[in-house]
Amino acid sequence: MAAKYVITLCDGTKCINNGAHRVRAALDEQLRAHGLTDQVRINLSGCLGMCEKGPIMVVNPGYVIYGGLDESDVERIVTEHLVGGKLIGDLEVEQDHLYNRFYRIFGDVGFFGKQMRIALRNCGIINPENIDDYLSLRGYEALGKALTEMSPADIVAEVQRSGLRGRGGAGFPTGLKWKLTAAEKATPKYVICNADEGDPGAFMDRSAIEGDPHTVVEGMALGAYAVGAERGVVYIRAEYPLAIKRITKAIEDARAHGFLGERILGSDFNFDIEIRLGAGAFVCGEETALIHSIEGARGMPRPRPPYPSVQGLFGKPTLINNVETWANIPVIIMDGATWFSTVGTETSKGTKVFALAGKVVNTGLVEVPMGTTLREIIYDIGGGLPGGRKFKAVQTGGPSGGCLPERCLDTPIDYESLAKAGSIMGSGGMIVIDEDSCMVDIARFFLEFTQNESCGKCTPCREGTKRMLEILTRITEGKGRAGDIEKLQRLGETIKKASLCGLGQSAPNPVLSTIENFREEYEEHIEQGKCRAGACKALIRFEILQMCKGCGVCRKVCPVGAITGQAKHLHVIDQDKCVRCGLCFEKCKFDAIVKV
Amino acid sequence: MTTPLELVRKKRTEAVGRIVSKGYLASARVYVGMATCEIAAGSKDVMAVFQKAMDEGLANVYLSQKGCAGRCNLEPTVEVIMTGKNPVKYGKVTPRRAEAIIERHIKNGQVIDEWVID
Repeated sequence: MAAKYVITLCDGTKCINNGAHRVRAALDEQLRAHGLTDQVRINLSGCLGMCEKGPIMVVNPGYVIYGGLDESDVERIVTEHLVGGKLIGDLEVEQDHLYNRFYRIFGDVGFFGKQMRIALRNCGIINPENIDDYLSLRGYEALGKALTEMSPADIVAEVQRSGLRGRGGAGFPTGLKWKLTAAEKATPKYVICNADEGDPGAFMDRSAIEGDPHTVVEGMALGAYAVGAERGVVYIRAEYPLAIKRITKAIEDARAHGFLGERILGSDFNFDIEIRLGAGAFVCGEETALIHSIEGARGMPRPRPPYPSVQGLFGKPTLINNVETWANIPVIIMDGATWFSTVGTETSKGTKVFALAGKVVNTGLVEVPMGTTLREIIYDIGGGLPGGRKFKAVQTGGPSGGCLPERCLDTPIDYESLAKAGSIMGSGGMIVIDEDSCMVDIARFFLEFTQNESCGKCTPCREGTKRMLEILTRITEGKGRAGDIEKLQRLGETIKKASLCGLGQSAPNPVLSTIENFREEYEEHIEQGKCRAGACKALIRFEILQMCKGCGVCRKVCPVGAITGQAKHLHVIDQDKCVRCGLCFEKCKFDAIVKV
Repeated sequence: MTTPLELVRKKRTEAVGRIVSKGYLASARVYVGMATCEIAAGSKDVMAVFQKAMDEGLANVYLSQKGCAGRCNLEPTVEVIMTGKNPVKYGKVTPRRAEAIIERHIKNGQVIDEWVID
């Protein structure tokens, strides 16, 4: 059977202006002339983002991209490539990069246009439960390349040169971690994939594993080869059943194809992966706590050094990276550190995945080059705030991060600039906050989370977050005292300095950053007992105005029976019974209920 | 001796062959988003509609699941790629919408603009 191809033609305006339709006609004619019409499938795509090189044609399988085409080139493509099976180097416009900016996520340009997908390159594109889909997109080719052409030291050097930094949040240089682990003499060594995603509202790792589990497997195999490990562990939350199912299947399929197991692809390299389920403790995302959990001990951190690269799992050298970090590795090996390091900023290379949520039109998973501004993510990709609401802040980094006000919107995202602005990159949560949210209440929410999740081992975190939470709670209840703000700052700084692990060291961030950027809201709560967003229930009251028509809707919706009144007469709210749920306020058709 | 890289490339060719033999070159390819988020939004029922239509004789269609592309607020999503046409991505697809997509788009080539994510 002759080879079969899928050809995608760019149907964007600029390609059309440059003659895409003439190329299409020539292609149809050539296919007919060679009797290939039934064996070649033609797709059109929206703009592929390579306008300056149009008209563009993508030939699959193989992702060969031809550009700057005219009718005369088409005959060569048909005879040499489609019939002869040879690529035509001088027509190729770009290296056959693994990343895909638009590929097959056609259309939907508003959302995907500013994105660049490296870690998520296959998410939403392939069938994650079929290894053939991954293989067809050059899956495991990086592993093959590494085992054929590269020594373990070459891989470490390549990852170091790429400038990749840990995507779990702290941003430690990945290559350095690999180098340190590779340099250790003790054996056996281990590699671990940290898939213990715990930030409220974050789902980057889950989506990455559910959408493309093989890239994580391949990344881990490359890491194991580089540092000399033969066993790997994926530590994943038990509450992610679909992700567990898919990574389990991926590991089994990879084993069946000889990408895992003994003598991988005929080489001397042995490596296999097992899965360990986490019970959902936030602190187990911290690497030493995670390692304890795998060992069967209580998930608590320990002081570092020694780092896991020296003494990790079962006391042996261990390379531990986050899901997103692993997902970048095959691309770096395939396309090279030189290319990878052209993406991003001076200090932060590549892309970052964010889970965009909150008061934004397009909530979702986005991957953008480092250096993209918060404004571009929120307004260009996220579509801005719904219903023309006013932007107040953006929270990045989850419970370890901070809230940034409008003046920080043009901050280009990288590890340093976010830290400088008073937040952190974190694992990638990004929550947009509008005027209806109270910053004190938000700080309290995150602190309540970290306080709950504090493992209790060290005093600053265990006691400090408890005291901070008490103060925040009383402020939101209108019982704040003079000096509370200073007390929060002093406590926060101490907890940051004195805590044992990253959980405590970052727990005060939401509080400190909101005091820094929204101090006036704290002052209003404490001094005037006022919550400008109307979110702190103890500080608001609902009242029915004289204009009440007595329709009775509020009386019927009130869940606690706090509203009384006769039909067609003024109703009243019993403030002692009222729980400030706001249902009456929402349901009143006459705007006769006010929040004061 | 075959190098690991040659071996992987060979496996890729075989994989492409298997995908093609499963009907990848059908005149319509349909992808239904099936990540946790999409399933929670109801994509299993949507998938069932397409599967049932194929069981009942809808021919020349390649049906596959895919992971989450990140369009949370518009899930479940369904992508329809017809030969020679621009690919179309539908948002908030319900079983009823799926039936309409089969009847109007896949069988008659009529894109249902109001449900398209653009």
